[in-house]
Amino acid sequence: MFASIEQTIAQLRDQRYLCDRKLATVAFLALHMRKPILIEGPAGVGKTELAKVVAAALGRTLIRLQCYGGLDEARALYEWEYGKQLLYTQILRDKISRLFEGVSDLHAAVEQLHLHEDVFFSEHFIVRRPILQAISSPDPVVLLIDELDRAEEQFEAFLLEVLSDFQVTVPEIGTVKAATIPYVIITSNNTRDLSDALKRRCLHLFIGYPDQQRELEIVRMKIPALQETLAAQVVAVIRRLRALDLRKAPSISETLDWAQALVLLNADALTPALLEETLHLLIKYERDTQQVNEQLPWIIESLQAQSQPTAAPPVAEIPLRPPLHPAEPDANHLEQRRQEHTARYFTSYRGRTDGRTGDS
Amino acid sequence: MDAVINRFIFLLKSRGVRISPSESLDAMQALAWVALHDRDTVRTVLRSTLIKDLHDLPVFEELFEQFFSLPKASPTPELAVEPPPQPETAPEPPEAVVEQNPVSGQPDGGNAHEDALDIRNYFDDESMATHFNSHQDANDLSLAEFGQNLVLSRNRDLLDQVMQKAMQLLKARRMKNAGRAGELNFAEAIAALDAEVIADAVTELLDELGDLDVDENLIKRLSSRLDGGIANLLELLKRYLERELTLQPPPRALDPSRRAPPTVRFSEQERREMTEIVLRLCRRMRGARSYRRHISQRGRISVPLTLRRNMQYEGIPFQPVMTRYRDEKPRLAVICDVSLSVRNTARFMLHLVYNLQSLFDQVRSFAFVSDLVEVSAQFEQQSIDEAIGAVFNGGLLDTDVDSNYGHALALFHNRYLSAVTPQTTVIILGDGRGNRNPPQVWALEGIRRRAKKLLWLSPESRGSWKMGSCDMSLYEPVCHHTEVVRNLQQLGRVTEDLLRRSVARP
Repeated sequence: MFASIEQTIAQLRDQRYLCDRKLATVAFLALHMRKPILIEGPAGVGKTELAKVVAAALGRTLIRLQCYGGLDEARALYEWEYGKQLLYTQILRDKISRLFEGVSDLHAAVEQLHLHEDVFFSEHFIVRRPILQAISSPDPVVLLIDELDRAEEQFEAFLLEVLSDFQVTVPEIGTVKAATIPYVIITSNNTRDLSDALKRRCLHLFIGYPDQQRELEIVRMKIPALQETLAAQVVAVIRRLRALDLRKAPSISETLDWAQALVLLNADALTPALLEETLHLLIKYERDTQQVNEQLPWIIESLQAQSQPTAAPPVAEIPLRPPLHPAEPDANHLEQRRQEHTARYFTSYRGRTDGRTGDS
Repeated sequence: MDAVINRFIFLLKSRGVRISPSESLDAMQALAWVALHDRDTVRTVLRSTLIKDLHDLPVFEELFEQFFSLPKASPTPELAVEPPPQPETAPEPPEAVVEQNPVSGQPDGGNAHEDALDIRNYFDDESMATHFNSHQDANDLSLAEFGQNLVLSRNRDLLDQVMQKAMQLLKARRMKNAGRAGELNFAEAIAALDAEVIADAVTELLDELGDLDVDENLIKRLSSRLDGGIANLLELLKRYLERELTLQPPPRALDPSRRAPPTVRFSEQERREMTEIVLRLCRRMRGARSYRRHISQRGRISVPLTLRRNMQYEGIPFQPVMTRYRDEKPRLAVICDVSLSVRNTARFMLHLVYNLQSLFDQVRSFAFVSDLVEVSAQFEQQSIDEAIGAVFNGGLLDTDVDSNYGHALALFHNRYLSAVTPQTTVIILGDGRGNRNPPQVWALEGIRRRAKKLLWLSPESRGSWKMGSCDMSLYEPVCHHTEVVRNLQQLGRVTEDLLRRSVARP
């Protein structure tokens, strides 16, 4: 159990997951307030991983529902086993006809049958899909609904009942209430907006790229075989790559892959040649490769700064770009332009005192 | 406590962040679980419970900073109410905090300016030592601010009278010299305040302090100072007022119009070409299918559904259930600049929209120069020449002002965003020349996030987008596509291509 925020951090660290206080606060609150967490952030920053380590830290089973386009309630909640139902009616044919022994009248037969109607729409014939599984499990579980933004909007509506009341309504059976409250984690890659109704029911958490210090810690923890200077170089290069306007910026998982590769290659230090050779581990698009090649001298600069022990504070802190969309223009630049416009606006146009329209 | 959080939420809402009551409840509930003395934890808790959209985050951060600290630059008032922070170690209901907090006035004559450290010195004062020995930690200063707000908000009711009066005066003043919005003369406004109102407020404030379990000596010292004059109350009021003013959204002004524009007519040739384009578009759209199958009279037999429906007949399929893909109709929202610079292209565009609208019922059209209006209704009821004439002639909106893209986009974002669903394709026609008005890119981003596809058609060639006061370079990265469209053929090709891609199955 997460008894306090500090303990949450420690318990997650035991599972080899480093997190900051923000994340731990939300993870702690979610457990105690029995609310789902909605995690948004770029791919590969450890959203899914969080669910896994929370499950491990709490000693619960993890039930995972991977979302995709066309996912419907039959795949997520429950489904009737038609085959089994048919089979049973055939097998039990004798038994069923025996039911009607001594029944003369058709009406009476229907009445008789009516008494046994719910046999075939009982829990025996229901296939439990992840959500129903999570709800009806006798032990509390961790339910991970992964990449919800891939599913359609209608699917979000199915989730609402589960998320707010922890119950599922199956028309033929009735409402299945949760025996134990699952710890629900929903992840989204932010490719589209989720509905407000869903967001309202969740605690919201945005995970971005970690800062240099934390990323270094993560690399050291996950790949202990990597030398320290090399790890520092790796992180420095990754940070510079992220500062470029790439279509897919390298995330933590790519950092780790790369570090692992460097260990396998027995590299002592990151040379420019080695960097170029292994760049394809980090860069996933042709266009990005070109851009990185153009900026290579600038990236290599960070290597040299790292290799000289005297120049300890090596790279000037590079502001993380807002990970909203690859095509997003540079936010600082935009902000600056917006301010310029606002400044002009004061002198040229009456009535408004901020940059936005005053309309409400 | 609740009052403070409520006020904070109210301010967030007034800045356009959508927060539902259940989220507010969540926030209060969550605060009960954490230690309140840690400013960052409180921030995280409020953020995760209240802010569900990344775009609202800057607003939240800014307001949090602003709200949970009073401006320090101005001279310290006599009355700066400073409750002792009591670090809560274990999770405890927040209500308890309010009740435990004794409130103390902080008498201070000499110093005109002081910073956070000085505040701490006062708590070493003997008379307060017993009360405030928990106040040794520098970290607690943030809570001091938090608490200060707590008390100010608790005293709101009586402060409100004074504030409202002051606000009225300020507003009246602002109306007089509207051109200088933003520069407010506080001294004047407060001096003009009714002296009686202030006197009443002071006595009430003292009563209130008496109710709040404060050291009696303190009240005495306070009231003796207050007898001397009420100048310092004014200081406090002024600071409070300044904060309130910065938190309040400013009003908006309108511009008058001037002259009448020329009329527009379509030649027979244009009509023919347009009809052809529209027909071609229609053929494309008919072929598009929905993503999921729906139950219908015709189509393929769906085995699970058939089995299920025929359970009642022992599984013999008396009633087959058929499903098929439904044809999907295009949903369009067209936002068209009708200012002089793009008028020729706008004519084609509106013509196309008119035809589309007569064929499909899910097309909505908007026109703007600086203000933005919906013209769907006109297009449905009137003939094409009448409708387009009405748009250009300034009957619906003022076409003579300089075009202001930022304003129009923000208007659309605020008023008509419900017209944009995840199935909607939004087409914006314009050259992106906003005459140096704020480009309001956030509004376009908001539209993009709701829409299935956002397309910008510009009559200017790409080369000239960087010249002059063109904001296309800001808008372009936000749109899914930007196209250059100068004549009917280009428009037809682009629209056809677009609709095929946006409507057809992936």
